[in-house]
Amino acid sequence: MTPVLEFRDIVRSFKRGVPVLDGVSFAVQPGEVVGLLGRNGSGKTTLIRIAMGMLHPYGGSASVFGASPTENPVEVKRRIGYVAEDQVLPPGSSIAELIALHRYLFPQWDGDLEGTLLGRFALDPAARIKHLSKGQARQAALLCAVCHRPELLILDEPAGGLDPAARREFLETSIQLLNREGTAILFSSHHMNDVERLGGRVVLLSDGRVRLDEDLDVLREGICVALVPKASASDPAQLERVPGCLRVRPVHDQWHAVYRGQPAATQASLVSTLGANGIRCENVPLEELFIELVGGERGGVS
Amino acid sequence: MQILIHPADEVPIYRQIMRQITHGIAAGHLKPGDRLPSHRELSEQLVIAPLTVKKAYDELELAGFLESQRGRGTFVSVRPPQADPTEQCDQLRESARRFLADAYLAGFDYEDVLQILQEASRSLAAPAEKETI
Repeated sequence: MTPVLEFRDIVRSFKRGVPVLDGVSFAVQPGEVVGLLGRNGSGKTTLIRIAMGMLHPYGGSASVFGASPTENPVEVKRRIGYVAEDQVLPPGSSIAELIALHRYLFPQWDGDLEGTLLGRFALDPAARIKHLSKGQARQAALLCAVCHRPELLILDEPAGGLDPAARREFLETSIQLLNREGTAILFSSHHMNDVERLGGRVVLLSDGRVRLDEDLDVLREGICVALVPKASASDPAQLERVPGCLRVRPVHDQWHAVYRGQPAATQASLVSTLGANGIRCENVPLEELFIELVGGERGGVS
Repeated sequence: MQILIHPADEVPIYRQIMRQITHGIAAGHLKPGDRLPSHRELSEQLVIAPLTVKKAYDELELAGFLESQRGRGTFVSVRPPQADPTEQCDQLRESARRFLADAYLAGFDYEDVLQILQEASRSLAAPAEKETI
């Protein structure tokens, strides 16, 4: 099966010698939902822009439906829907004009879906883009991104800046599309609850690379966090040597260590290695896992 | 029966659904032969991915709690399985410890706790109202 989207060893920098992306590879299969996570500046938007053919990679290649997004931009864009946080829509046009333009660009435009979404979002076709709220503008962008029934929907922080109710409505529409069309979705988000709701696979970018590429449920149940008092392990290398260690960071008077494995088994191997007690291992929600994997070191001022 | 999910819980969403359905069966809110919402219905109702619902249903089917009939939907099994007694007992002990800790912290004594248990037991024994999902 040809992936709908594939990144192969993508390298890209904006300042010489400081790569934002330093060899990123992964693929999205038809109908798959992939959440792209990472801290601000970790290269999520850069990667998405490369997929959209808006940026050239310095190394490696991207392919969308087996074609290059920079060499076949028209063919590729016909089959993609794209919504970005900072998407610029023509401020002076009305929603009706914006839709007319998209209907003209996309021969396979679905007028029924357009009508359904206009009704659901309560968008007034006569309203000018510049008079829309942030949430309404994002809804108009989503409508334009999905009514040509794309095979791949790319959402770059689509919920950024939206209030919780608007975010949920956006998510509801995305899920209905998923149900109706089986569209593959690549989305970046800082809202871990939304990532949990959309499910699927999670790709975590950090230091220009794919830090983790895992099914969400495997991530939630197959990875745990151990809290170890510094008194029990003077050197973090002791924790890193225990099999399955993904990261160790200091947090006040404890080490927080992330391990692949079940909490009980991990705790047992830590206790036997360190010969110490007072160690606690737990599965944690995605938000905590994100912080443990890419968060900074924390401690009081000494 | 209503299902509620919390994305930020330690337990993944598909397990939250599984747990609520098995509890629903145990408490009699879901009866053998009852039809469950389709993947699509529950996914849109809870605003979660349809695959998450499918995963919960598949696991419950594998464990014998649910049966799917091609083209008709997913139903509660005519004879849902008896849970593993040792595991069940361990879970119950754990719940009992938490329950007693809460009770003692709130200043109740053992006699009060027994009375609360008896009341709860009576309310469970009363015929459960038929609820729809």
